[in-house]
Amino acid sequence: MEENLNYKPKIGVYVCHCGINIGSVVDVPAVVEFASKLPGVAVSREYTYMCSDPGQNLIKEDIKNENLNRVIVASCSPRMHEPTFRKTLKEAGLNPYFLEMANIREQVSWVHPDRDEATAKASKLIEAAVAKALLLEALEEKEVDVIPSCLVIGAGIAGIQASLDIADAGFKVYLVEKTPSVGGHMAQLDKTFPTLDCSACILTPKMVDVANHPNIELMTYSQLEEISGYVGNFKAKIRKKARYVDFHKCTGCGVCAENCRLAGRVPNEFDELIGMRGAIYLPFPQAVPAKYTIDPKRCLQLSKGKCGKEGPACVAVCGPGAVNFEQEDEMVEIEIGTVIVASGYDVFPMEKKPEYGWKENENVLTGLEFERLVSASGPTGGKPILGRDKKGEGGYEPKKVAFIHCVGSRDKSVGNEYCSRVCCMYLAKQAHLIRDKLPDAEINVFYMDVRAFGKGFEEFYDRVRREGVRYVRGNPSEIYKKSGEEGDHTMVIKVEDTLTSTPLEYEADLVVLGVGLEPRKDIREIIDLFKLSQSTDGFFLEAHPKLRPVDTASDGVFLAGCCQGPKDIPDTVAQAKGAASSALILMAYGKVKVEAQVSVVSPDECRGCGFCVEVCPFGAIELVDENRMGNIVKVAFVNEALCKGCGSCAAACLSGAIQPRSFKDEQILPQIAVLGVRP
Amino acid sequence: MVDLKELQDKAKEVISRDDVRRLIGWQRGTYGFESAPIVVTDASDADKLIFDPTCVQNPASFITLEEKRPVPRGQEPDTRKVAVMVKGCDSRAIVQQLVEKAYPRENVIVMGMPCRGVIDRRKAAALFGDVTPDEVKLDGDKVVVSLNSETKELARGDILADKCMRCRYPNPLVSDELMTEEVEKWGADEFADVDEFEKMSPADKWKFWEEQFSKCIRCYSCRNVCPMCYCVECVVAKLKPQWTRRSTDISENAAYHVQRAWHLSGRCIECMECQRVCPVDIPIMTLNRKMTRDVKEMFDYEPGVDVEAEPLLACYNPQDPEDYIM
Repeated sequence: MEENLNYKPKIGVYVCHCGINIGSVVDVPAVVEFASKLPGVAVSREYTYMCSDPGQNLIKEDIKNENLNRVIVASCSPRMHEPTFRKTLKEAGLNPYFLEMANIREQVSWVHPDRDEATAKASKLIEAAVAKALLLEALEEKEVDVIPSCLVIGAGIAGIQASLDIADAGFKVYLVEKTPSVGGHMAQLDKTFPTLDCSACILTPKMVDVANHPNIELMTYSQLEEISGYVGNFKAKIRKKARYVDFHKCTGCGVCAENCRLAGRVPNEFDELIGMRGAIYLPFPQAVPAKYTIDPKRCLQLSKGKCGKEGPACVAVCGPGAVNFEQEDEMVEIEIGTVIVASGYDVFPMEKKPEYGWKENENVLTGLEFERLVSASGPTGGKPILGRDKKGEGGYEPKKVAFIHCVGSRDKSVGNEYCSRVCCMYLAKQAHLIRDKLPDAEINVFYMDVRAFGKGFEEFYDRVRREGVRYVRGNPSEIYKKSGEEGDHTMVIKVEDTLTSTPLEYEADLVVLGVGLEPRKDIREIIDLFKLSQSTDGFFLEAHPKLRPVDTASDGVFLAGCCQGPKDIPDTVAQAKGAASSALILMAYGKVKVEAQVSVVSPDECRGCGFCVEVCPFGAIELVDENRMGNIVKVAFVNEALCKGCGSCAAACLSGAIQPRSFKDEQILPQIAVLGVRP
Repeated sequence: MVDLKELQDKAKEVISRDDVRRLIGWQRGTYGFESAPIVVTDASDADKLIFDPTCVQNPASFITLEEKRPVPRGQEPDTRKVAVMVKGCDSRAIVQQLVEKAYPRENVIVMGMPCRGVIDRRKAAALFGDVTPDEVKLDGDKVVVSLNSETKELARGDILADKCMRCRYPNPLVSDELMTEEVEKWGADEFADVDEFEKMSPADKWKFWEEQFSKCIRCYSCRNVCPMCYCVECVVAKLKPQWTRRSTDISENAAYHVQRAWHLSGRCIECMECQRVCPVDIPIMTLNRKMTRDVKEMFDYEPGVDVEAEPLLACYNPQDPEDYIM
C-alpha cells in the first residue's frame, strides 16, 4: 500500500472516440479539455480507438514519461475492455488495479442523442472517476494450482463427448450418470435428422469407449451430493447407489431378468413407459455398462421383504451369484480441478396441456414415445403397431397419422416462450419414418412455422414434403376421441388453417405431439450445488451469450448440451467439445488466476448473522468462530478463491461490515458526491 | 387478568435455575403512567415484577444490548440463558432477532404475556396532567385508573396507545410458556394513518418533516430503544466514510432519520418504542409505517411473524417479476 495517497497524484485521462460510436455524439475534444483541468490530472488525451495497439502505447508511454500513478480510460463498459487496459498498466509497470474506467459509450453516447447533454454527462462521469482514482488500492492477483482432473455430470452425448476429449488429451475424468446406463436421450432415438443415421449405431461405439477408456472413471447409477472448493480445487462427494447386483460378478447374461417374477410388468423408463421390463433389468440391450440393476421400489424382495414361496428367482438362476440384497449405497470422495455440467433436459410434460388428450388416449404419443415405438430396440421391435394387449399381441397399424408442432414450445400459456429447436426436424424425420414403414398412410403435419435452419435441414424438409406428407399451417386447439365405440381409434383434431382462415377437423388414428424441451425437473439440485444461474427460460445461464457460451459465472464450471438450452445433436457435440477445451485450457496450463477485487470483512463490525452467506451466489463466504477476549463469536470469512467481487454481500450486510475491494463505501461516496449530491 | 403472585413465583423459579443468568421484565415506575424495566438476577428481586397496562417498554430491546465482557484467563465465558417477558408486540422483536440470527433460540427463555393494551403516556398526560396513578387496570372495555383514591373509567381508545387499538398480535408469537391465557384478537390494521399522511402534497410533506426534523436533538434515544438497532457499530458513528455529520441541522437530521427508516424497512416490528421515547415528540413511526406498508404491498412480507422466514433484503426469489427493471 506504499503507493497510496501519500504522494502527489498524477492521473492520466484517456478519452476514446470508439470510431464514431462515442465521437459522433460526445464532443470528445471538449471532454479532454475539461478533464485536463481536474485536480490531479497530469495528462488528458483522446484517440480514435484506445483499445488498439497505438492507443495502448499512448498510455504506456505516458506512464513511463510522465510518471503517472493513476489511469482513467473513458470508453466502453469495463466488461468489455477492463482486462485489456489492466494489462496495459501492468506492462508499463503500474499496478493494474490503479485503472478506473468511465463508461461513456453504453452509458452516454448510445443512450443520449443530445450532443450537449451527452458531453456534459461524459465530463461528469470522468470527474467522478477522477474522484475515485486516488482512493484505489494496489491489489495483487493470486494464482492457484489446478488439479488435473475433471468431473463430468451426465453421460448423455454431451457428457460422453466431453469426457472422451478430455481423457484423450491425457487428463483424468470422472463421469457421473444418474441412471443405470450411459447414453442419455440420444440412445432412445431411432434415426437422427437430417441424415437418417441410426442413432444407436453412431452412439454405441462412444458409449463403449467411455466405459473402457483408461482415463475415464465411469460412475453410473450415481449422483453428485456435495461439492465444495473453487476453480482448480473442487472436492466432490458422489453417492453410488446400490444396484443390489455385484458390479464385478454380473456378466450381463440376462437370465435374472427373464426369470424375474415381475418380468414384463414394470413400465420401462427408457421406453418412455410404453415398453415393459422386470424389477431386475437392463434399460436397453446396448446399455453400458451391461450390468443389471434392481429397482428397489418395484422389487418384491426389497419393497415387500418377500418374493414368491421359493424366494427371489433372480438369486436362484444367477450363475455367478451376483445378486446381493444386502448391498448399500457407497459414498465416493474425489478431488477435481474442473467441472462440466451436461445434465440434459426433460421433454415437455403433457399434463400441462390436457386439451391434446395425451393422458387418456394411447394413440396420442409424445415425440419421444414415438421414437421408442419405431425403434428396432423398442417394445414393438420397430413396427408402428398400436393398441396391443398386455401379452404384446394384436393391435393395429395406423392409417392416418397426424404430427403436431410446437407442443409446449413458443407457447406463453404454458410458460415456455422459447423455440425448442429440434421439434420441426424430428417431426419431419418421424413423418418420413412413417411414410417409409406405412407407404399408404395419410400423413398430416400441423405447424406454426417450419424452422429448417441447420445444415441439410431445408433439403430434408423439402424431401419429406415431396414424399407425400401434407403440411397444414395451424395450431390445433383440441384433440379428442371421435366416438366411445370399442375398436374405433379415430381422433379428431380441431384446427384452424391459418393460410385460408378456415376452421377444419382432421381425423387420425395416431397423433404424434412434437413436445419441446424443458429444463430438467431436478435442475435445482445442480443449481444448489454449483450456485449456477438460470436464464428466463429456466435453462442454465452461460457467462456471455456470444463470447463465453460454455462458461458459467462459477469459474471452472462449464456447460455442455441441452442443460444450457435446447439444441440438436451436432450443436450438442460441438458445445461439448468447446466445454472440454475450456476445461483443458485450465488443466493444461495448470494454474489459474483468481479475482483480486474480492470482498473483505471488517471483523470488528461483523455480528455473524450470516446474511452474506445466504446471498452469496458463489458460496464464497462462511461463518467461522473467532475468539474475542474469551468469548467465541461468529464472524464472516471470505474464501478469496471463490469470491468474484459481485458485492451482493455488501448490499445485504446490515452493519456495513463486508465490502468488495475497489468498491468500498469510501471509494464510491466521492463519486456520488461528484455526480449529484454536490450542487 | 394476571395473577401477580403466580407471575412472581414463576419468575423466581426461572431465575433460580442454574442455566439462567438474568430475567428481564417490568417493575413499578417512579412517576407518571409508565412502568420501569427491571433486570432480575436474584430471586429476591422477583417480587418487584409487575404486569399491567403501564408495562409499555419492550424488554426484547435489552437482549442485544448486552456487552460481551473479556473473559479472564482460565475462566469460561458465561453462556447462561436470558429470560425475557414479552407482550405480543414485543415478541415480534424476538422473532425478527431470531430471523436475523442475533442469537440462538436456545439462549433465551421467552415468557409470554398476552396483552390487551398499554397506556400512551402522552394521552394520559393530556387527560390527567403530570401525576402518578395508584393503579391502572383493564376491565372489559374500560380502562380503570385509580388516582388519589378516586377511580376513573375511560374508553380504551382514549388512553391506550394507537398501536394497541390496531393490534393484530396481542398474544406472543414466540414463547416458551404463556403466563396467562391467550386473549382474543380485536384489532385490524388498514394503514389508515399512512393513507391519511399520503394525502398531503409533496410540498406539505416536506414542510411537515422539515418542522419535525428541525426539532431533533440527535439524542439517539430512538435508536437506543429500538430492538432492531443492534449493529456493532452504528452508521452514525462511522467516520470512514462519514455518512452523517454530527451537527444537528435540518440536512443531517433528515439524513439520519431517512437512513434509519431504510435500515429498518422489512425489519421494523412496529413496537413504536422509538416514537414513545422521543423527547421532542417527532412522529418517527410515520416513516416506518410507510415502509412497513410498502414492504407488505410490494413483497408480501411482514417482519417478525415467522421464525423460519428469510430476512427480506437478504433473500431472493427467481420468480421475482423485476418489473422495475424492464
